[in-house]
Parts: sequence; C-alpha cells; structure tokens
Amino acid sequence: MPDQSGAQPLTNHVTRALAELRGESASFAGELTSGEREDMDRLFSAGAALDALLADRKLDEQTRHHDMLNVLGAMRGYAEMLLDDLGPRLPAMEGVLQRVLKSIAAATDGVQPTDARSRELASVPSDLTGTILAVDDNADNRELLTRYLQRSGHQVIVAASGTEALSRLADRHVDVVLLDLIMPGMDGGQVLRRLKESSELRSIPVIVISGRQDMEGIIDCIEAGADDYLFKPFNPVLLQARIKAGLERKRWHDKEEKYRRQLERNEKFIRATFGRYVSDEIVENLLEEPEGLKLGGDLRQVTMLMSDIRQFSTLCEGLPPEQVMRMLNNYLGVMTDIILKHQGTIDEFIGDAILAIFGAPVQRDDDADRAVQCALDMQHAMLQINRDNRRAGLPEITMGIGVNTGDVITGNIGSEKRSKYGVVGHHVNLTARIESQTAGGDILISDSTLQALALPVTMGESQQVQVKGINEPVTMHRVLDTRLSQSHVS
Amino acid sequence: MSLDVLLVEDNELNRDMLSRRLARAGYSVRVAPDGQQALEAMRDKTPDVVLLDMNLPVKDGWTTCREAREDPALAATRIIALTAHAMGEDKQRAMDAGCDDYATKPVDFPELLNKIQRLVDQKS
Repeated sequence: MPDQSGAQPLTNHVTRALAELRGESASFAGELTSGEREDMDRLFSAGAALDALLADRKLDEQTRHHDMLNVLGAMRGYAEMLLDDLGPRLPAMEGVLQRVLKSIAAATDGVQPTDARSRELASVPSDLTGTILAVDDNADNRELLTRYLQRSGHQVIVAASGTEALSRLADRHVDVVLLDLIMPGMDGGQVLRRLKESSELRSIPVIVISGRQDMEGIIDCIEAGADDYLFKPFNPVLLQARIKAGLERKRWHDKEEKYRRQLERNEKFIRATFGRYVSDEIVENLLEEPEGLKLGGDLRQVTMLMSDIRQFSTLCEGLPPEQVMRMLNNYLGVMTDIILKHQGTIDEFIGDAILAIFGAPVQRDDDADRAVQCALDMQHAMLQINRDNRRAGLPEITMGIGVNTGDVITGNIGSEKRSKYGVVGHHVNLTARIESQTAGGDILISDSTLQALALPVTMGESQQVQVKGINEPVTMHRVLDTRLSQSHVS
Repeated sequence: MSLDVLLVEDNELNRDMLSRRLARAGYSVRVAPDGQQALEAMRDKTPDVVLLDMNLPVKDGWTTCREAREDPALAATRIIALTAHAMGEDKQRAMDAGCDDYATKPVDFPELLNKIQRLVDQKS
C-alpha cells in the first residue's frame, strides 16, 4: 500500500513524541489538574487509535486517510490545550508538547498529499475547477471527456442518457453541463428544455456538443437557453476555455444568488423582529439601511410617551369582562394607529397603559416633536372614543400622558426563547413617574423634552414635583391642546 | 450568559476534543453526531452558532444547512462549515448551501474562535 510507506515513518515520530510525553508527564503527575490529566489520557488514546488505523488492513486508502486526519486533528487539539495550560507552568512539559505538535503537523502533511488525485487537484487554482456533468451516450466519448476534465482538476460526473443526466442533476451539485445533442431516448434538446424549466437547475450553464452537420440543432439549443456549443471532435483547449467561461458564469450567478438570499434573510429577520411594534415605514427604512439597526443594545437618546386611563380598574369593576375587553381593544387600536402614524415604536401595553418610543430603532431629529404631536392627537381622539363608549352604553374614560426625553438602553431584551425590542433605564422610570402626576386629559412633559422641541406648542403652567425614587424635584410642563380647549368652550 | 454552540461532528474523537475545548473557552456546548439530530437540536433551542461538519452520516452538512435556511425559525442561525479539505470546492459548496463562514479541518482553534466571535458580533 503506497500510503503506508509514506505515512508510517511520520506516525512513528508521533508515537515517539507521545512516549516521551508519557514519561515526562509521569514525573509531573502530582502537578496536573484532573482536567489536564483527562486531556492527557484522551491524547494518548487518540495515539492508540492512530496506530490501530495504520494496522487495519481492511480499510481502503481513502477511508484510512480521512480517519487519520480526524484522529490527528483531535490529537492536535488536546496537545494545544495542554500546551496552553502546562506551558506557562512547567517549562519541561512545554518542550515535549511542542515536539508532539510538530510531529502531528508533519504526519498531517504526510497524509494529505499521498492521495494522488487530491495533490493534482490542489495544484490547480481552485477557482477554475468545478463539478462537470458530461452527458454522452457513447462510452468512449465519456471516457475521453472524463480524462480531459480530470486532468484539469475538475470533478467529473457522467451520464449515458438524458434520463440519467436529469437524475444526476437532481442529487448532485453541478457547475457545468456538457451535453451531447444526439442521444437515443431523451435527446439533448429535451434535457436542455427540462433544465431550463426547473427554477433550481436553470442557472447551470449548459454547453452543447454536436457534429458540424447539426448546426440547426445547436441554434435551436442556443435559443432554448444553452450557453455555448462545441463541435465534435472537440479541441481540448477550446473545451477548457468554454468550461472555464461556464464556471465563471455559474460562480457569478451563485454569488448573486447568495447575496439575494442574504438580503431575503435579513428582510425576514427585520420584519419578524419589528413588524409588530413599528410602522411599515420604519420597517421599510430598516430594510433599506440595515446598518442603522443595532440590536446588541446601545445607549441612545429617545423620547418616551406613556399613557394611562385614569381609574381604569375602578371603572372596570362594575362591567362584564367582555365589555372591558371590547372597550380596551377599541381604545388600544385607536391609540396604536395614532402612534404608528407619528412613527413611534410601541414598546408595550401594560393593561390599559401604553409605552411608546420615538427615536428607536430609528433616530430622527424631530423625535420629541413627533412624540408631543402624537400625545396631542391621542388626547384629541378621546372625544371619538367616548362617543363610541356612550353609544355602546359604556362609561366615558379619560387618559393622562407623560412624555420624557433622555438616554436609555435600547435593544432586544429578554431570554433566547422570548425577547422583545425595548428600552431600559432611569428615564423609563421617570417617564412613568411623570405620567403618574397627570389627571385625565393632561399631557405633562419633562424639561428635557421641552428643550428638544423645535415645533411651537401651546404650553400651560409648569410645576416642580417630588417623585418617588428621585431625590431632586422634577420639573414638568403642561402642554395644552388648543383644539380640545376650543371644544370645551363651545 | 455564555454563547450556546452546537457542534455537529460524527467523529467521536474530534467531537469530544472540540467540545472540551469550546467549553474551556467559555462556550456552552451541545453536540450532535449527524445532520438530522443537528436540525432537531436547533429546533429544540436555537443555538448562537452552529459548527457544522460537512461529511456527516444520515444527512450531510450541505443538506442540513440548506434545510435550516428553508425553515423560517432557523433561517437566521449562524452556521460555520467545517470542511475536510483545504480545497476550493468544499468551501464554495458550503457557502452555496447557505453557511455563513467555513473553517478547514484540522481546525485552527484561535482562528475558529475569531470566526465565531466575528459572526456573533456581525449578526447581533
């Protein structure tokens, strides 16, 4: 066996280096941790497995090589781990382990190129080779094509008929098809048409081969989607050139395809993550500029809006549950539309309370303005909601809104099983505290939101309030809804 | 929280070695011996990264990767192919099947850790 003469002396080095390691480790046995002892044991048993592979006469050459590479890979891993651990502690072990690693590397190199075909393949630049399906009913032609193509480093699959070609294509990855036109049964033209009908196979370049007398057939095939043609008897250099061009075409197509799939995956991911919480427009923006999307959790300034129905639980006490749900869903539905219209992100509903964020996942200059306009529209919409409630015989409700601007951490929060896009931080709590100071119909905004506003709003009085959990009194400003006050007057 | 790595490798020696090494590097490691069990493990709990050997019994790495990409729940899973040969075709096929990256066996461990980290940073 040719490989044994090559691999055996090299693995002898490994065996010797391992014996040396065994001797050395015995003198340091007391200094090894149990984990290190275990790594050492596993390294030695891999060494035994290597010997067993060499001794096993029943193995074919390829299986032996494959298995030896696996064992050598495992040995290298254990030896590297031991070197990492023991090297700094035990200089004597460091030297031995380095010799073990060197012998493993030499044996690995020795195993790899003994496979004559893989050496030949490795010598050809890999981007010029591929898997070629040669379809020809003539056995001599198949043999000839195979020889030519293998010599240039291609993998060759053959098929003796159109039907066989289609079944090869169904279970193997093929880069280029060489297709004889005139075959008994399903001929080349039919195979080509079947290929072009399949969305998966359509992109594989097809080179048709035929005699000069069949120019018409070739023209038919080109019209049906063949990429190139060759006359029989073919010139090997021309064959190479055509195949190379076909491979390049395929490679470009594959790259494009991969890029397109990557885009699709990104799109799916973004839609799944954000679709429920943000407006379609924001989803579209994210898809156009995915780099604006940082899910890892980042600190950024956002404006938060929190709303709550006053005395909601008291109101609910006297109502049947289905009426409560109907009222709540109508209310949340109306509010959701308003928030999305102002390009806010709904962070969560907590019962009847809503937390919306402006400025995440997409930050804009007018985050605070949109939040305040949104709050005004929400309050305004209460007129309609109460009209609905009155008509349905439900109690009227009032809502307070707090708005605050500040730095928070935004990102996907939660466990792997269940996570949501959201915000955390001191300013989230502050927003809730501001909201808790509101009476029905109120909009209170913090100092920082007021500073961030660019659009004019009608402001009412300001107040300083001592809130739970914050030492300094918090300044809040009332925003007046001119439309509401007018409707009150009238 | 440590990253959850699913190591798919049929060779027991290599599987043991890599899982010990990854665990020591701070990863939480699950293993699967073939493509079918890998997909089951992925559906059971989506790992942060899958290290996928290509030459696997039952269901090979290419098929496994393609099936993962077709499953909406697994489509975004980060997958690094472990290819046996330093040859272009294996890598190309792995990338064609939808793998995010590849590492050639025998594995250069520091490089593999870099690839894992790069992928996690890039997609998180």
